[in-house]
Amino acid sequence: MRTVIAFICLLLCAAVAAGDINPQRAQFNYQMSCQGCHAPDGSGAGAVPRMRDHVGVFLATAAGREYLVRVPGSAVSALSDADLAEVLNWIVLEIAGSSVQVAFEPYSAQEVARLRQHPLNEVARYRAQLLAEIASTQSRE
Amino acid sequence: MKFLDKLFEQQTRQLAQRSSRRGMLKTLGGLLVGAGTIPLLPVARAAAEAPGHPVEEGDPGSCDYWRYCAIDGFLCSCCGGSENTCPPGTEMSPVTWIGTCRNPADGRNYVISYNDCCGKSSCGACLCQRDEGDRPPYRPDKTNDINWCLGTSSAAYHCSTAIVVGVAFEEK
Repeated sequence: MRTVIAFICLLLCAAVAAGDINPQRAQFNYQMSCQGCHAPDGSGAGAVPRMRDHVGVFLATAAGREYLVRVPGSAVSALSDADLAEVLNWIVLEIAGSSVQVAFEPYSAQEVARLRQHPLNEVARYRAQLLAEIASTQSRE
Repeated sequence: MKFLDKLFEQQTRQLAQRSSRRGMLKTLGGLLVGAGTIPLLPVARAAAEAPGHPVEEGDPGSCDYWRYCAIDGFLCSCCGGSENTCPPGTEMSPVTWIGTCRNPADGRNYVISYNDCCGKSSCGACLCQRDEGDRPPYRPDKTNDINWCLGTSSAAYHCSTAIVVGVAFEEK
């Protein structure tokens, strides 16, 4: 019974969180600014990281959450702060799948505006380090 | 009075036999899941229009064809493939550059993915360079001057396709 209530709540919560997203606009911005490299379904290609069923892992820590905005593809994209926040929230809902293990607080335009002032220069090593940190926090729990 | 008692007893017993105690949960769950699947039905999708098949006019073997508004390269339509497919013996790059073109048939803007076909040397036929919306290489995701044969086993460029991947969003 408790599981059923939790499930219903999860459905409703997801619906509420998605409230601020215009899915057509978000998908269009994803197509124009992300899809070329990350592929239509977020599966990536070659050296381009896979987002599908994976990108939510970063939300486990504060630095990881910030990383998704500071990564150059986000930070220096031609999208406005509000559009970038929307497309990131859309990616978490539509592409991250089961990799989201924490209660997701949607990105706001203000948060995105602040974080994208500090784009990352050296991404590959920083990303690997972040993922290692997240993995070690999770194995300790 | 006895008749009424009997009737109600019978009705109640029948109802109890037919319905389960968790029936309400089942119906509620069914409704929740069911409501979610309505947008997946073909009727709803037809209303939203299939972006892969817009009404079209023009010759895909000509540089003037509407989907080629930002192209820079050889048309796969002239190289044994089509505007949507690679010629035999080449591999379609999963990494592409993406822009929008206006379809003169319906006046709408569509999202076009210029997937290059790779693995053979340059096709050499139907060189087109329209470059609308092309940006300098400091905007690497919006420039067509770099080799987009990325993520393929060979980086040799053969020709370009122009695939419709969606309808452009326009604020009303």
